[in-house]
Amino acid sequence: MSPDLSGDDRKQPRYEFDRHTPEYRHQFEAITQEMQANCPLAWSDTHGGHWVAAGNREVFELARAAGYLSNDHDVHGERRGYQGITIPTPAEMQIQGGFLEMDPPGQREYRQALNPYLSPAAVARWLPVAAELVRACLDEKIGTGQIDFVDDLANIVPAVLTLAMMGIPLSHWSIYCEPAHASVYTPPDSPAMARVRDTQIAMFEDMYAQLLAIRASPRPGLIGALTQAEINGRRPDDMELLGVMLLLVGGGFDTTTALTAHALEWLSGHPAERDRLSRDRDTLLNSATEEFLRYFAPAPGDGRTIAQDCELAGVRFREGDRLWLSWAMANRDPAVFENPNDIDLARTGNRHYSFGLGIHRCIGSNMARMVFKQMVTGVLDRMPGYQCDPAGAEHYQTIGVIQGMRHLPATFPPGPRLGPGLDETIAAMQRACDGQRLAEPVTVRKAAAEVGL
Amino acid sequence: MHVTVDPERCQGHTLCAMIAPQMFELDEVDGHSSPVTGTVPAGQQDKVREAVRSCPEQAIAIS
Repeated sequence: MSPDLSGDDRKQPRYEFDRHTPEYRHQFEAITQEMQANCPLAWSDTHGGHWVAAGNREVFELARAAGYLSNDHDVHGERRGYQGITIPTPAEMQIQGGFLEMDPPGQREYRQALNPYLSPAAVARWLPVAAELVRACLDEKIGTGQIDFVDDLANIVPAVLTLAMMGIPLSHWSIYCEPAHASVYTPPDSPAMARVRDTQIAMFEDMYAQLLAIRASPRPGLIGALTQAEINGRRPDDMELLGVMLLLVGGGFDTTTALTAHALEWLSGHPAERDRLSRDRDTLLNSATEEFLRYFAPAPGDGRTIAQDCELAGVRFREGDRLWLSWAMANRDPAVFENPNDIDLARTGNRHYSFGLGIHRCIGSNMARMVFKQMVTGVLDRMPGYQCDPAGAEHYQTIGVIQGMRHLPATFPPGPRLGPGLDETIAAMQRACDGQRLAEPVTVRKAAAEVGL
Repeated sequence: MHVTVDPERCQGHTLCAMIAPQMFELDEVDGHSSPVTGTVPAGQQDKVREAVRSCPEQAIAIS
Protein backbone atom coordinates (compact mmCIF):
# COMPACT_ATOMS: atom_id res chain seq x y z
CA MET A 1 0.00 0.00 0.00
CA SER A 2 1.37 3.40 -0.91
CA PRO A 3 1.59 6.02 1.84
CA ASP A 4 -1.20 8.57 2.12
CA LEU A 5 0.59 11.69 1.03
CA SER A 6 -2.40 13.91 1.64
CA GLY A 7 -2.00 13.61 5.40
CA ASP A 8 0.91 13.58 7.80
CA ASP A 9 2.80 10.87 5.94
CA ARG A 10 4.18 13.44 3.52
CA LYS A 11 5.62 15.42 6.43
CA GLN A 12 8.98 13.66 6.29
CA PRO A 13 11.70 13.78 7.38
CA ARG A 14 10.89 15.17 10.78
CA TYR A 15 13.08 17.31 12.99
CA GLU A 16 12.16 19.02 16.24
CA PHE A 17 13.18 22.57 15.36
CA ASP A 18 12.71 25.55 17.67
CA ARG A 19 14.81 28.55 16.76
CA HIS A 20 13.30 30.58 19.63
CA THR A 21 15.10 28.64 22.35
CA PRO A 22 18.48 29.64 23.81
CA GLU A 23 19.63 26.09 22.99
CA TYR A 24 19.28 26.85 19.29
CA ARG A 25 21.66 29.78 19.67
CA HIS A 26 24.16 27.79 21.71
CA GLN A 27 24.06 24.72 19.45
CA PHE A 28 23.60 26.53 16.15
CA GLU A 29 26.55 24.91 14.37
CA ALA A 30 25.74 21.38 15.55
CA ILE A 31 22.05 21.71 14.65
CA THR A 32 22.94 23.17 11.27
CA GLN A 33 25.37 20.32 10.54
CA GLU A 34 22.86 17.70 11.66
CA MET A 35 20.02 19.10 9.56
CA GLN A 36 22.17 19.59 6.48
CA ALA A 37 23.51 16.05 6.75
CA ASN A 38 20.19 14.31 7.50
CA CYS A 39 17.23 16.53 6.70
CA PRO A 40 18.05 19.73 4.81
CA LEU A 41 14.31 20.20 4.33
CA ALA A 42 12.39 18.91 7.36
CA TRP A 43 8.98 19.05 8.98
CA SER A 44 8.84 20.32 12.54
CA ASP A 45 5.75 20.08 14.78
CA THR A 46 6.81 23.17 16.74
CA HIS A 47 4.90 26.48 16.57
CA GLY A 48 1.84 25.06 14.89
CA GLY A 49 3.86 22.86 12.53
CA HIS A 50 6.06 24.09 9.70
CA TRP A 51 8.72 23.08 7.22
CA VAL A 52 12.30 24.15 7.82
CA ALA A 53 14.75 24.64 4.97
CA ALA A 54 18.31 24.41 6.31
CA GLY A 55 20.30 23.30 3.27
CA ASN A 56 21.69 25.87 0.88
CA ARG A 57 20.30 24.19 -2.23
CA GLU A 58 16.87 23.79 -0.66
CA VAL A 59 16.71 27.40 0.54
CA PHE A 60 17.81 28.62 -2.88
CA GLU A 61 15.21 26.60 -4.76
CA LEU A 62 12.37 27.46 -2.40
CA ALA A 63 13.11 31.16 -1.92
CA ARG A 64 13.19 31.76 -5.63
CA ALA A 65 9.94 29.87 -6.35
CA ALA A 66 7.98 33.07 -5.85
CA GLY A 67 4.96 31.80 -7.72
CA TYR A 68 4.42 28.98 -5.21
CA LEU A 69 5.22 30.94 -2.07
CA SER A 70 3.34 33.75 -0.39
CA ASN A 71 4.59 36.38 2.04
CA ASP A 72 1.06 37.66 2.57
CA HIS A 73 -0.03 38.55 6.09
CA ASP A 74 -3.81 38.67 5.84
CA VAL A 75 -4.45 40.57 9.06
CA HIS A 76 -8.13 41.22 8.37
CA GLY A 77 -9.00 37.82 6.90
CA GLU A 78 -9.80 39.27 3.50
CA ARG A 79 -7.83 36.82 1.37
CA ARG A 80 -6.63 33.36 2.33
CA GLY A 81 -5.77 33.97 5.96
CA TYR A 82 -2.00 33.61 5.51
CA GLN A 83 0.16 34.55 8.45
CA GLY A 84 3.10 36.40 6.91
CA ILE A 85 6.79 35.91 7.57
CA THR A 86 6.90 35.39 11.35
CA ILE A 87 6.63 31.88 12.79
CA PRO A 88 4.80 31.66 15.08
CA THR A 89 2.48 34.57 14.42
CA PRO A 90 2.87 37.16 17.20
CA ALA A 91 -0.06 37.09 19.59
CA GLU A 92 -0.23 40.87 19.83
CA MET A 93 0.32 43.72 17.42
CA GLN A 94 -1.38 42.19 14.40
CA ILE A 95 -0.22 44.54 11.68
CA GLN A 96 0.85 43.71 8.15
CA GLY A 97 4.63 44.10 7.99
CA GLY A 98 4.72 46.34 4.94
CA PHE A 99 5.65 44.99 1.53
CA LEU A 100 7.70 42.19 3.12
CA GLU A 101 4.34 40.69 4.09
CA MET A 102 2.78 41.23 0.66
CA ASP A 103 2.89 39.49 -2.70
CA PRO A 104 3.15 41.05 -6.15
CA PRO A 105 1.81 43.18 -7.69
CA GLY A 106 1.37 45.37 -4.58
CA GLN A 107 4.76 44.31 -3.21
CA ARG A 108 6.45 45.25 -6.48
CA GLU A 109 4.67 48.59 -6.65
CA TYR A 110 5.87 49.55 -3.18
CA ARG A 111 9.43 48.62 -4.04
CA GLN A 112 9.30 50.59 -7.27
CA ALA A 113 8.14 53.59 -5.28
CA LEU A 114 10.96 53.29 -2.72
CA ASN A 115 13.90 51.93 -4.78
CA PRO A 116 14.97 55.42 -6.00
CA TYR A 117 15.68 56.30 -2.36
CA LEU A 118 17.63 53.12 -1.57
CA SER A 119 19.55 52.10 -4.70
CA PRO A 120 23.37 52.06 -4.57
CA ALA A 121 23.45 55.46 -6.30
CA ALA A 122 20.86 56.86 -3.88
CA VAL A 123 22.64 55.55 -0.79
CA ALA A 124 26.07 56.78 -1.91
CA ARG A 125 24.79 60.36 -1.57
CA TRP A 126 24.41 59.80 2.19
CA LEU A 127 27.99 58.67 2.81
CA PRO A 128 29.21 62.08 4.09
CA VAL A 129 26.30 62.20 6.55
CA ALA A 130 27.08 58.70 7.83
CA ALA A 131 30.77 59.57 8.20
CA GLU A 132 29.92 62.71 10.15
CA LEU A 133 27.54 60.85 12.49
CA VAL A 134 30.19 58.18 13.12
CA ARG A 135 32.75 60.90 13.84
CA ALA A 136 30.41 62.54 16.34
CA CYS A 137 29.54 59.26 18.12
CA LEU A 138 33.22 58.43 18.50
CA ASP A 139 34.03 61.99 19.61
CA GLU A 140 31.54 61.64 22.46
CA LYS A 141 33.68 58.82 23.89
CA ILE A 142 37.17 59.27 22.46
CA GLY A 143 38.47 61.22 25.44
CA THR A 144 37.22 58.74 28.04
CA GLY A 145 38.85 55.53 26.81
CA GLN A 146 35.55 53.69 27.18
CA ILE A 147 32.69 53.04 24.77
CA ASP A 148 29.76 50.70 24.40
CA PHE A 149 29.80 49.97 20.68
CA VAL A 150 26.07 49.14 20.76
CA ASP A 151 24.71 51.99 22.87
CA ASP A 152 27.16 54.67 21.78
CA LEU A 153 27.64 53.91 18.08
CA ALA A 154 25.82 51.05 16.36
CA ASN A 155 22.40 51.92 17.79
CA ILE A 156 22.72 55.57 16.84
CA VAL A 157 24.09 55.91 13.31
CA PRO A 158 21.66 53.52 11.56
CA ALA A 159 18.75 55.06 13.49
CA VAL A 160 19.54 58.68 12.62
CA LEU A 161 20.22 57.85 8.97
CA THR A 162 17.05 55.79 8.62
CA LEU A 163 14.98 58.67 9.97
CA ALA A 164 16.80 61.07 7.63
CA MET A 165 15.92 58.94 4.63
CA MET A 166 12.32 58.62 5.78
CA GLY A 167 11.94 62.36 6.28
CA ILE A 168 11.46 62.24 10.06
CA PRO A 169 13.21 64.87 12.23
CA LEU A 170 16.58 63.42 13.20
CA SER A 171 16.26 64.46 16.84
CA HIS A 172 13.39 61.95 17.15
CA TRP A 173 15.83 59.04 16.85
CA SER A 174 15.64 58.31 20.56
CA ILE A 175 11.85 57.83 20.33
CA TYR A 176 12.46 55.05 17.83
CA CYS A 177 15.68 53.52 19.08
CA GLU A 178 14.57 51.70 22.21
CA PRO A 179 11.39 50.09 20.88
CA ALA A 180 13.14 49.09 17.64
CA HIS A 181 15.66 47.03 19.60
CA ALA A 182 13.83 46.12 22.80
CA SER A 183 10.79 44.73 21.01
CA VAL A 184 13.14 42.20 19.40
CA TYR A 185 15.20 41.12 22.40
CA THR A 186 12.56 41.24 25.13
CA PRO A 187 10.74 37.91 25.60
CA PRO A 188 6.94 38.35 25.34
CA ASP A 189 6.43 37.01 28.89
CA SER A 190 9.08 39.25 30.45
CA PRO A 191 8.05 41.83 33.07
CA ALA A 192 10.03 44.35 31.00
CA MET A 193 7.56 43.94 28.14
CA ALA A 194 5.05 46.42 29.58
CA ARG A 195 7.59 49.21 29.35
CA VAL A 196 8.60 48.09 25.85
CA ARG A 197 4.94 48.33 24.83
CA ASP A 198 4.83 51.90 26.15
CA THR A 199 7.85 52.85 24.05
CA GLN A 200 6.29 51.14 21.04
CA ILE A 201 3.12 53.17 21.48
CA ALA A 202 5.15 56.38 21.64
CA MET A 203 6.90 55.34 18.43
CA PHE A 204 3.61 54.57 16.67
CA GLU A 205 2.22 57.91 17.74
CA ASP A 206 5.22 59.73 16.34
CA MET A 207 5.08 57.70 13.12
CA TYR A 208 1.45 58.51 12.62
CA ALA A 209 2.04 62.19 13.36
CA GLN A 210 4.85 62.21 10.79
CA LEU A 211 2.67 60.54 8.19
CA LEU A 212 -0.11 63.09 8.67
CA ALA A 213 2.30 66.02 8.75
CA ILE A 214 4.10 64.96 5.56
CA ARG A 215 0.83 64.32 3.77
CA ALA A 216 -0.41 67.79 4.75
CA SER A 217 2.88 69.52 4.00
CA PRO A 218 5.07 67.36 1.74
CA ARG A 219 8.78 67.03 2.38
CA PRO A 220 11.26 64.69 0.70
CA GLY A 221 11.82 61.15 1.91
CA LEU A 222 10.46 57.63 1.97
CA ILE A 223 7.30 58.68 3.82
CA GLY A 224 6.62 61.34 1.22
CA ALA A 225 6.90 58.65 -1.45
CA LEU A 226 4.44 56.47 0.46
CA THR A 227 1.87 59.27 0.69
CA GLN A 228 2.05 59.61 -3.11
CA ALA A 229 2.11 55.89 -3.95
CA GLU A 230 -0.72 54.17 -5.75
CA ILE A 231 -0.78 50.46 -4.90
CA ASN A 232 -3.13 47.99 -6.55
CA GLY A 233 -4.87 50.96 -8.16
CA ARG A 234 -5.62 52.80 -4.92
CA ARG A 235 -4.09 54.95 -2.21
CA PRO A 236 -3.27 52.61 0.70
CA ASP A 237 -4.95 53.27 4.05
CA ASP A 238 -2.95 54.70 6.93
CA MET A 239 -2.65 51.39 8.78
CA GLU A 240 -1.04 49.80 5.74
CA LEU A 241 1.38 52.73 5.42
CA LEU A 242 2.25 52.50 9.12
CA GLY A 243 3.10 48.84 8.51
CA VAL A 244 5.50 49.91 5.77
CA MET A 245 7.06 52.54 8.04
CA LEU A 246 7.45 49.94 10.75
CA LEU A 247 9.18 47.65 8.26
CA LEU A 248 11.60 50.43 7.31
CA VAL A 249 12.41 51.13 10.96
CA GLY A 250 12.65 47.43 11.84
CA GLY A 251 14.86 46.75 8.84
CA GLY A 252 16.98 49.86 9.20
CA PHE A 253 17.80 49.78 12.90
CA ASP A 254 18.40 46.47 14.67
CA THR A 255 19.95 44.54 11.78
CA THR A 256 22.84 46.90 11.01
CA THR A 257 23.43 47.31 14.74
CA ALA A 258 23.66 43.53 15.09
CA LEU A 259 26.11 43.13 12.22
CA THR A 260 28.38 45.92 13.44
CA ALA A 261 28.47 44.75 17.04
CA HIS A 262 29.29 41.17 16.10
CA ALA A 263 32.00 42.24 13.66
CA LEU A 264 33.63 44.57 16.19
CA GLU A 265 33.49 41.85 18.84
CA TRP A 266 35.10 39.31 16.52
CA LEU A 267 37.82 41.75 15.44
CA SER A 268 38.65 42.47 19.09
CA GLY A 269 39.27 38.77 19.58
CA HIS A 270 41.39 38.54 16.42
CA PRO A 271 43.72 41.56 16.57
CA ALA A 272 45.98 40.37 13.74
CA GLU A 273 42.96 40.11 11.45
CA ARG A 274 41.81 43.51 12.66
CA ASP A 275 45.18 45.06 11.79
CA ARG A 276 45.10 43.34 8.40
CA LEU A 277 41.59 44.61 7.67
CA SER A 278 42.56 48.14 8.61
CA ARG A 279 45.80 48.05 6.62
CA ASP A 280 44.38 46.35 3.52
CA ARG A 281 40.89 47.86 3.63
CA ASP A 282 41.04 48.97 -0.01
CA THR A 283 41.05 45.34 -1.11
CA LEU A 284 39.61 43.61 1.95
CA LEU A 285 36.73 45.73 3.27
CA ASN A 286 34.19 44.54 0.70
CA SER A 287 34.90 40.84 1.11
CA ALA A 288 35.16 41.19 4.90
CA THR A 289 31.76 42.90 5.00
CA GLU A 290 30.18 40.08 2.99
CA GLU A 291 31.87 37.52 5.24
CA PHE A 292 30.54 39.16 8.40
CA LEU A 293 27.12 39.23 6.74
CA ARG A 294 27.38 35.53 5.87
CA TYR A 295 28.63 34.44 9.26
CA PHE A 296 26.54 36.60 11.58
CA ALA A 297 23.37 36.77 9.41
CA PRO A 298 21.57 39.47 11.45
CA ALA A 299 18.15 38.50 10.07
CA PRO A 300 18.45 34.72 10.26
CA GLY A 301 15.48 33.75 8.11
CA ASP A 302 11.98 34.39 6.85
CA GLY A 303 8.68 32.53 6.99
CA ARG A 304 6.54 31.79 3.95
CA THR A 305 3.19 30.15 3.22
CA ILE A 306 2.85 27.64 0.39
CA ALA A 307 0.32 29.22 -1.98
CA GLN A 308 -0.54 26.12 -4.05
CA ASP A 309 0.05 22.39 -3.97
CA CYS A 310 3.46 21.75 -5.48
CA GLU A 311 6.58 19.64 -5.37
CA LEU A 312 9.75 21.58 -4.67
CA ALA A 313 13.20 20.45 -3.49
CA GLY A 314 11.90 16.90 -3.36
CA VAL A 315 8.97 17.59 -1.01
CA ARG A 316 5.24 17.56 -1.76
CA PHE A 317 3.86 20.74 -0.27
CA ARG A 318 0.21 21.48 0.31
CA GLU A 319 -1.38 24.88 -0.01
CA GLY A 320 -1.33 26.56 3.39
CA ASP A 321 1.80 24.78 4.68
CA ARG A 322 4.12 27.07 6.60
CA LEU A 323 7.81 27.17 5.74
CA TRP A 324 10.88 28.66 7.45
CA LEU A 325 13.73 29.62 5.13
CA SER A 326 16.92 29.78 7.17
CA TRP A 327 19.35 32.19 5.57
CA ALA A 328 21.68 31.69 8.55
CA MET A 329 21.87 27.90 8.17
CA ALA A 330 22.11 28.05 4.36
CA ASN A 331 25.10 30.35 4.85
CA ARG A 332 26.94 27.54 6.70
CA ASP A 333 26.42 24.78 4.17
CA PRO A 334 29.75 23.07 3.37
CA ALA A 335 28.39 22.18 -0.07
CA VAL A 336 28.79 25.87 -0.99
CA PHE A 337 31.18 27.35 1.58
CA GLU A 338 34.56 25.82 2.37
CA ASN A 339 35.14 25.73 6.15
CA PRO A 340 31.72 27.33 6.64
CA ASN A 341 32.14 27.90 10.36
CA ASP A 342 35.37 29.89 9.96
CA ILE A 343 35.53 33.59 9.20
CA ASP A 344 37.76 34.27 6.18
CA LEU A 345 37.91 38.00 5.52
CA ALA A 346 39.10 37.37 1.96
CA ARG A 347 36.53 34.65 1.17
CA THR A 348 35.61 34.32 -2.49
CA GLY A 349 32.45 32.89 -4.02
CA ASN A 350 30.54 34.25 -1.03
CA ARG A 351 26.97 34.00 -2.31
CA HIS A 352 25.43 34.33 1.13
CA TYR A 353 21.70 34.84 1.67
CA SER A 354 21.82 37.33 4.53
CA PHE A 355 19.77 39.86 2.56
CA GLY A 356 17.35 37.16 1.48
CA LEU A 357 16.83 35.85 -2.04
CA GLY A 358 14.43 36.53 -4.86
CA ILE A 359 11.92 39.35 -5.10
CA HIS A 360 12.06 40.20 -1.38
CA ARG A 361 15.83 40.92 -1.28
CA CYS A 362 16.39 43.40 1.57
CA ILE A 363 15.57 46.81 0.10
CA GLY A 364 17.99 48.46 2.54
CA SER A 365 20.98 46.25 1.72
CA ASN A 366 22.95 49.08 0.12
CA MET A 367 22.34 51.31 3.10
CA ALA A 368 23.31 48.52 5.53
CA ARG A 369 26.64 47.91 3.82
CA MET A 370 27.51 51.60 3.59
CA VAL A 371 26.68 52.38 7.21
CA PHE A 372 28.43 49.23 8.48
CA LYS A 373 31.62 50.13 6.60
CA GLN A 374 31.56 53.68 7.93
CA MET A 375 31.15 52.52 11.52
CA VAL A 376 33.83 49.82 11.35
CA THR A 377 36.44 51.92 9.57
CA GLY A 378 35.69 54.81 11.93
CA VAL A 379 36.53 52.57 14.88
CA LEU A 380 39.60 51.12 13.16
CA ASP A 381 40.90 54.64 12.49
CA ARG A 382 40.27 56.18 15.87
CA MET A 383 40.29 53.30 18.35
CA PRO A 384 42.60 50.85 16.55
CA GLY A 385 43.68 49.01 19.69
CA TYR A 386 40.25 48.71 21.30
CA GLN A 387 39.54 45.74 23.53
CA CYS A 388 36.03 44.47 24.11
CA ASP A 389 35.15 43.41 27.63
CA PRO A 390 33.81 39.84 27.35
CA ALA A 391 32.14 40.14 30.77
CA GLY A 392 30.09 43.10 29.59
CA ALA A 393 29.23 41.81 26.11
CA GLU A 394 25.57 40.89 26.06
CA HIS A 395 24.11 38.88 23.19
CA TYR A 396 20.41 38.42 22.56
CA GLN A 397 19.36 35.29 24.45
CA THR A 398 17.69 33.87 21.36
CA ILE A 399 18.34 34.35 17.66
CA GLY A 400 14.90 33.48 16.32
CA VAL A 401 14.21 36.97 14.99
CA ILE A 402 17.49 38.91 15.01
CA GLN A 403 20.97 37.72 15.96
CA GLY A 404 21.73 40.84 17.90
CA MET A 405 23.66 42.30 20.80
CA ARG A 406 22.43 44.51 23.62
CA HIS A 407 25.80 45.72 24.83
CA LEU A 408 29.42 45.61 23.75
CA PRO A 409 31.63 47.65 26.10
CA ALA A 410 35.23 48.25 25.13
CA THR A 411 38.28 50.17 26.30
CA PHE A 412 40.94 51.91 24.23
CA PRO A 413 43.73 54.47 24.68
CA PRO A 414 42.00 57.88 24.74
CA GLY A 415 42.50 60.19 21.78
CA PRO A 416 41.64 63.74 20.69
CA ARG A 417 38.21 64.94 19.65
CA LEU A 418 37.87 65.98 16.03
CA GLY A 419 34.64 67.97 16.09
CA PRO A 420 31.36 68.78 17.79
CA GLY A 421 29.39 66.29 19.86
CA LEU A 422 26.42 64.23 18.80
CA ASP A 423 23.53 66.61 19.47
CA GLU A 424 25.24 69.49 17.71
CA THR A 425 26.13 67.23 14.80
CA ILE A 426 22.59 65.87 14.51
CA ALA A 427 21.32 69.47 14.39
CA ALA A 428 23.86 70.24 11.64
CA MET A 429 22.79 67.14 9.69
CA GLN A 430 19.17 68.23 10.01
CA ARG A 431 20.09 71.58 8.45
CA ALA A 432 21.87 69.73 5.64
CA CYS A 433 18.82 67.50 5.07
CA ASP A 434 16.48 70.47 4.95
CA GLY A 435 18.70 72.89 3.06
CA GLN A 436 19.91 70.41 0.42
CA ARG A 437 16.76 68.26 0.31
CA LEU A 438 18.96 65.21 0.82
CA ALA A 439 16.03 62.79 1.11
CA GLU A 440 14.86 63.39 -2.45
CA PRO A 441 14.97 60.29 -4.68
CA VAL A 442 18.08 59.82 -6.82
CA THR A 443 15.96 60.61 -9.85
CA VAL A 444 15.58 64.17 -8.50
CA ARG A 445 18.85 64.79 -6.64
CA LYS A 446 22.09 63.11 -7.70
CA ALA A 447 24.79 64.99 -5.82
CA ALA A 448 26.29 63.73 -2.58
CA ALA A 449 25.47 65.54 0.64
CA GLU A 450 27.72 68.40 1.70
CA VAL A 451 28.24 68.38 5.42
CA GLY A 452 30.89 71.03 6.10
CA LEU A 453 30.01 72.30 9.56
CA MET B 1 34.57 35.27 -22.90
CA HIS B 2 31.00 36.59 -23.17
CA VAL B 3 28.95 37.62 -20.12
CA THR B 4 25.21 38.10 -19.61
CA VAL B 5 23.03 38.99 -16.63
CA ASP B 6 19.55 37.48 -16.57
CA PRO B 7 17.33 40.49 -15.74
CA GLU B 8 14.57 38.17 -14.46
CA ARG B 9 16.94 36.60 -11.93
CA CYS B 10 18.96 39.65 -10.87
CA GLN B 11 17.58 41.21 -7.69
CA GLY B 12 20.17 43.91 -7.16
CA HIS B 13 22.48 42.28 -4.61
CA THR B 14 25.34 44.30 -6.24
CA LEU B 15 28.13 41.82 -5.50
CA CYS B 16 29.12 41.62 -9.18
CA ALA B 17 29.74 45.36 -9.40
CA MET B 18 31.65 45.22 -6.13
CA ILE B 19 33.93 42.49 -7.49
CA ALA B 20 34.24 43.64 -11.12
CA PRO B 21 33.23 47.33 -11.18
CA GLN B 22 34.54 47.80 -14.71
CA MET B 23 32.39 44.97 -16.06
CA PHE B 24 28.99 45.47 -14.40
CA GLU B 25 26.94 48.63 -14.05
CA LEU B 26 24.05 49.05 -11.64
CA ASP B 27 20.81 50.73 -12.51
CA GLU B 28 20.57 54.10 -10.81
CA VAL B 29 17.00 53.50 -9.68
CA ASP B 30 16.85 49.85 -8.57
CA GLY B 31 20.49 48.74 -8.49
CA HIS B 32 19.93 45.83 -10.85
CA SER B 33 23.00 44.83 -12.83
CA SER B 34 23.84 44.65 -16.48
CA PRO B 35 27.16 43.99 -18.25
CA VAL B 36 29.02 47.07 -19.42
CA THR B 37 30.03 45.12 -22.50
CA GLY B 38 29.19 41.57 -23.55
CA THR B 39 32.76 40.67 -24.38
CA VAL B 40 35.07 40.37 -21.39
CA PRO B 41 38.69 41.50 -21.92
CA ALA B 42 41.36 39.05 -20.86
CA GLY B 43 42.39 41.14 -17.87
CA GLN B 44 38.85 41.08 -16.42
CA GLN B 45 38.00 37.42 -16.89
CA ASP B 46 39.06 36.24 -13.45
CA LYS B 47 36.99 38.96 -11.81
CA VAL B 48 33.95 38.08 -13.91
CA ARG B 49 34.33 34.41 -12.98
CA GLU B 50 34.42 35.46 -9.34
CA ALA B 51 31.27 37.55 -9.87
CA VAL B 52 29.55 34.48 -11.33
CA ARG B 53 30.54 32.43 -8.25
CA SER B 54 29.39 35.17 -5.87
CA CYS B 55 25.98 36.01 -7.28
CA PRO B 56 23.35 34.94 -4.71
CA GLU B 57 20.71 34.59 -7.42
CA GLN B 58 23.05 32.80 -9.86
CA ALA B 59 21.97 35.36 -12.45
CA ILE B 60 25.27 35.76 -14.33
CA ALA B 61 26.31 33.46 -17.17
CA ILE B 62 29.57 33.28 -19.11
CA SER B 63 30.26 31.47 -22.34
